[in-house]
Amino acid sequence: MPLLYSLLWRFLLVLVHVNRAIVSWLRVRLRSWKGRLWERAVAALLLPFALTGFPDHQKKLNHNSDANATPVTGNRTDSRRLRWLSDGKSLEKLPVHIGLLVAEEEPSYTDIANLVVWCMAVGISYVSVYDNHGIFRKNNSRLLEEIIKQQQELLGVEGSKYGVEFLSNGTDKHVVSCRPTVKVLSPEDGKQRIVQVAQQLCRSVENKEKSSKDISVSMLDILLRESKNVPDPDLVVKFGPVDSTLGFLPWHIRLTEFISLPSHRNISYEDLFGALQQYSVCQQRLGQ
Amino acid sequence: MSWIKEGDLNLLEKISANVLKAGPMPKHVAFIMDGNRRFARKKNLERQEGHMQGFNKLAETLRWCKHLNIPEVTVYAFSIENFKRNKEEVDGLMELAKQKFERLLEERENLEKHGVCIRVLGDLNMLPLDLQEIIAKAVVTTREHNKCFLNVCFAYTSRYEITNAVREMAWGVEEGLIRASDVSEALLSECLYSNNSPNPDLLIRTSGEVRLSDFLLWQTSHSCLVFQSVLWPEYSFWNLCEAILQYQLNHKSIQKARDLHREHQALQQLEADRACVAEHLQHHGNGKPVDAQRRQEALLHYTDCREERVQDFLEALKHKRDSFFNDLCSEAISA
Repeated sequence: MPLLYSLLWRFLLVLVHVNRAIVSWLRVRLRSWKGRLWERAVAALLLPFALTGFPDHQKKLNHNSDANATPVTGNRTDSRRLRWLSDGKSLEKLPVHIGLLVAEEEPSYTDIANLVVWCMAVGISYVSVYDNHGIFRKNNSRLLEEIIKQQQELLGVEGSKYGVEFLSNGTDKHVVSCRPTVKVLSPEDGKQRIVQVAQQLCRSVENKEKSSKDISVSMLDILLRESKNVPDPDLVVKFGPVDSTLGFLPWHIRLTEFISLPSHRNISYEDLFGALQQYSVCQQRLGQ
Repeated sequence: MSWIKEGDLNLLEKISANVLKAGPMPKHVAFIMDGNRRFARKKNLERQEGHMQGFNKLAETLRWCKHLNIPEVTVYAFSIENFKRNKEEVDGLMELAKQKFERLLEERENLEKHGVCIRVLGDLNMLPLDLQEIIAKAVVTTREHNKCFLNVCFAYTSRYEITNAVREMAWGVEEGLIRASDVSEALLSECLYSNNSPNPDLLIRTSGEVRLSDFLLWQTSHSCLVFQSVLWPEYSFWNLCEAILQYQLNHKSIQKARDLHREHQALQQLEADRACVAEHLQHHGNGKPVDAQRRQEALLHYTDCREERVQDFLEALKHKRDSFFNDLCSEAISA
């Protein structure tokens, strides 16, 4: 009997994997089809089957055809930039701080750079990039180069005036200090940073500068925010098949919305915009 | 409605449970039971009735978990932020909690039979005194049970919990039990309200919200998160199965991430110990060079001493926490 159950379990797992593969394959196919009716019909058919933890959004499918319909005239990069900016303005609300959580092995720098540039182009002020291996932190400069390159490619010379400020742990080099800000995060900024702050507080207790009773939530919050007044991330877009935060800033994600996309490889602007649309309709009640 | 629901699964449920149990099962599941009020609005019920049905669903979910061999469940019952709701609703929730914990005490024997240990995580000082006393009684009576564990987060937020852990460590420093340099990730985890539980493997939030709302932020950093759109009072056995299946699909990659994190943590501790030893040797070595063997011996000695300090501190902390509940209990008896 146990053998039968374990066979059944394996079969079930295979079934779910196959289902996922079909769903993601069809999603790619859908993107190339123009017919709106088709998209809606197939999307409606797929919806009940999609076994995904973080709810994906179907709206992006609709948006796709709108985007393609926009006539491209004059300077390509100019019109693109204006379109992205107006896309950002068309949303009811836009995150001030977005986190890009890469839960995949072997990240693609170009795709991440594209995502960062799109986020900035729609008008998001703070972009954090995170992976739990600390790969981006280690290859900080490579990512920065890639971002500057993609910025020029996607937004043209005009667009480069955005400038990028690179923050990592507050001590590393600062490039150009002008908004928007890109921050590269690793697990060290998460629990380890909280431990550092705890140690710092305990040290001042040891030196009789503070009493244990003085320690409060707001005191910790201020210390964890560092000198920069960066708000907590409003939205984390997670890429990859793992449904976990993988140590992404535990203190700061109290009210963060999580939206999941299957992969960051070959990601399109429409995928990102779909996630932003989904975020813009979320309501927060703050305990009320 | 009682806390423990008796009864077996039906045949189809039983078969499905057995199929799922052939794979890796979560040992600890956390729930954000969201959607009671929306459910009440949808069904044109009183808000309080929505909360009632939410509680009944909890009892049912505990039964399913028992059949699925999940020994530990943590639920978010009342957040510190919830005190901001209108007075009528807060009072209603306090009253409901009081009734339920009184009921729990009446069911003492049944709880003992099933070996259910109830823990309440949060700052009880924020609650009315009579509720505090009843909660303390429930916690103290079921303390020794060890078959299944139900953690109820009440007057809880994760940031508050982390802050409280830092405060406890600072208390340890004040008492001279530990040094500031002993503060580590492992020690902080031990000072949280949840120090008696392993980290949750699976966190489920119902009603379609996709955020953690200040719940177990520290403990779920490597847990599988499942957001389901069903409202909590409508939660079914099949919803739970779906969430577990999702956990099983994630199991391998999350395990890998956990191992990586653990390695990292051990390395961190070693480095911290090394730094302390180096500092010590510099102070007491009169500037003479120290050979590798002596350095190694000093490191081992230092690590032993640190572990002993931390053990003593944790014992003192446990004593402090236990006596908080004991005192509340005896106050209730003498009153």
